[in-house]
Amino acid sequence: MVTTTRESLWGWLDNLIARYPVIAPRRVEGVPLFRRIAAADEVAWDVLRTVVSPKAWLFPDSEVILEIEKRAGDVTLSEPPSAGEQILFAIRPCDARALRSLDAMLVDHSPPDVYFARRRRQVALVGLACRQPLVDCFCTSTGGAPDDPGDMDVMLYEIDKGYLVQAVTERGTSLLSGLTAAETGHAPPAPGSRGESRRMAFQTQVSVPEPAAWPAHFDDAYWARLADRCLGCRICTYVCPTCRCFDVRDYVTGAGPGIVQIQRLRAWDACLAETYRRAAGGHDPRPLKAQRLRNRFYCKFLYVPEDFGAIGCVGCGRCIAACPVNIDLSEVLAEVAQMVARRQQEQMEVFALPQTEGKVSERM
Amino acid sequence: MTKVSNPMKPYLGTLTGVKDLASGIKLFQVVLDDATRECFDYAPGQFAFLSAFGVGEAPFGLASVPWRSEELEFAIMEVGTVTSALHRMEPGEIVGVRGPLGNCFPMDEFKGKHVVVLGGGIGGAPLRSVIQTILDRRADYGRLDILWAAREPSLLIFTDEYDEWRAAPDTALHLTVDLADGNWTGHVGLITQLLEKVSPSPENTIAIICGPPMMIKFTALTLLKLDFVPEQMIMTLEAKMKCGIGKCGRCNMGDRFVCIHGPVFTCTEVYDFLESVV
Repeated sequence: MVTTTRESLWGWLDNLIARYPVIAPRRVEGVPLFRRIAAADEVAWDVLRTVVSPKAWLFPDSEVILEIEKRAGDVTLSEPPSAGEQILFAIRPCDARALRSLDAMLVDHSPPDVYFARRRRQVALVGLACRQPLVDCFCTSTGGAPDDPGDMDVMLYEIDKGYLVQAVTERGTSLLSGLTAAETGHAPPAPGSRGESRRMAFQTQVSVPEPAAWPAHFDDAYWARLADRCLGCRICTYVCPTCRCFDVRDYVTGAGPGIVQIQRLRAWDACLAETYRRAAGGHDPRPLKAQRLRNRFYCKFLYVPEDFGAIGCVGCGRCIAACPVNIDLSEVLAEVAQMVARRQQEQMEVFALPQTEGKVSERM
Repeated sequence: MTKVSNPMKPYLGTLTGVKDLASGIKLFQVVLDDATRECFDYAPGQFAFLSAFGVGEAPFGLASVPWRSEELEFAIMEVGTVTSALHRMEPGEIVGVRGPLGNCFPMDEFKGKHVVVLGGGIGGAPLRSVIQTILDRRADYGRLDILWAAREPSLLIFTDEYDEWRAAPDTALHLTVDLADGNWTGHVGLITQLLEKVSPSPENTIAIICGPPMMIKFTALTLLKLDFVPEQMIMTLEAKMKCGIGKCGRCNMGDRFVCIHGPVFTCTEVYDFLESVV
């Protein structure tokens, strides 16, 4: 563990920028987004949460997965070149933790998604610990911590006269060579143990129901009630750092005599989209908005944990901030927690009564 | 599971045959390039994506068995953009093939058992690989009843193979159409009605169903009436898909993905889905 001054850190960062593409929170016409920076002074250090998550740099909202060229009687397929090494700088712990979930869904589960896997191998994460949460942040409720270095290569902690700097991985150690710093003689703090982290007042704290508790509430009328005000706009999925649904489409990009050039693109898609499941011919297993909205929550808190052993929500709060009709994930979780508690209460009462046949509710 | 380094990159293959199977339904025969042919090791029940380059790709059940021919066969109805593009293609043209994907019918577990195959319309396509497996290893299996249905006679698929099916030992083909035309002399009615009439014994029997969701649902209910239990009812499901490898998120039924956990499921598994299939 070392400390460094602001000037030294900026000098080191400018040095990194000379060697690698560095992607950091930057204000683009006032909107905080992860963008490539040309100098250390472009970093928006005060931004706790960019509007769109940094996953877009590893899993772009739209990317070419194949270049296809058709000539008379012949087709050639080529894969796009690698983007090369890049650095995600000042990434917050929740967003880095979301990348671990994407690893579980896209890489660890065989066969791997080669496009995401390649970028993931080539990215180094320089994290920045949060000093205070936003009103709708709830990382601690999902098992995270605002100063968790676990998913980083290098972790930075802001202190009064500069930064505490922690090399988390070997890659981080080699990145840090050249940084002028003073040894503190202290071991790195355990996540969540630092004074600031403990003192942080999270205004949003929820108890996330265990995956096993969710199936019993699948048919609850709550989902239809909640969907009444959902616009189906999908902004929650667009800003989410763990959503990974995609569409694949072909576009003809050029044609000449006897030759057609085609790009096969994949683009983010959303289970909330009306046509998401509609097959050619019209069959749709999820025709109701309530079913689609419910799927988003069940995906996060039941399907992803069960199928991929990963967490589906890191508590970044983006969907809460972005929803135009104030559908608040923390309120949804609180509601489900209440359903779980009510059910437990009812079951205790049922045990006290003579056994009666259970009523099977109508499926949506 | 696919053996390529990039599972989203198709193999290239040549359309060697495009044959009319029924009204609006064609059989596509594809031979893969020499370099990739041996990578494509498939079993009945698996599926593959076909690319019409420039339009897109879509998943289709493999209707063939690998030991009969090097040609991969797909029975495809013209319903959407990709299927329409495929229907416009001619022999000699190049298509992309991504697969084989998904699980397969546990044909070895069916050995020694009677098999009832229930195919509805284009849903019969993947079941043809089951029928061919049983016919080619006839002594390994018990009685084979094929219940084959379509909305109308012009939509019945694989009609030129019915003689082969009927001629096989201990095998019966039962046809039905929802709506007859003037030339139809066979059974008229839903496959559920035909099933009640044929009334196969559940004793040591496996029922395999594929068809539209409503057909699957009511065929399964009829089998239950005939004292079949969900464990002996197998179904192969279809869903809109984009990747076929459990990434794109599109084909989930609750926490099960049709592409990687299926497409072949027992009825027990399907009844356990958090989301009902139909």
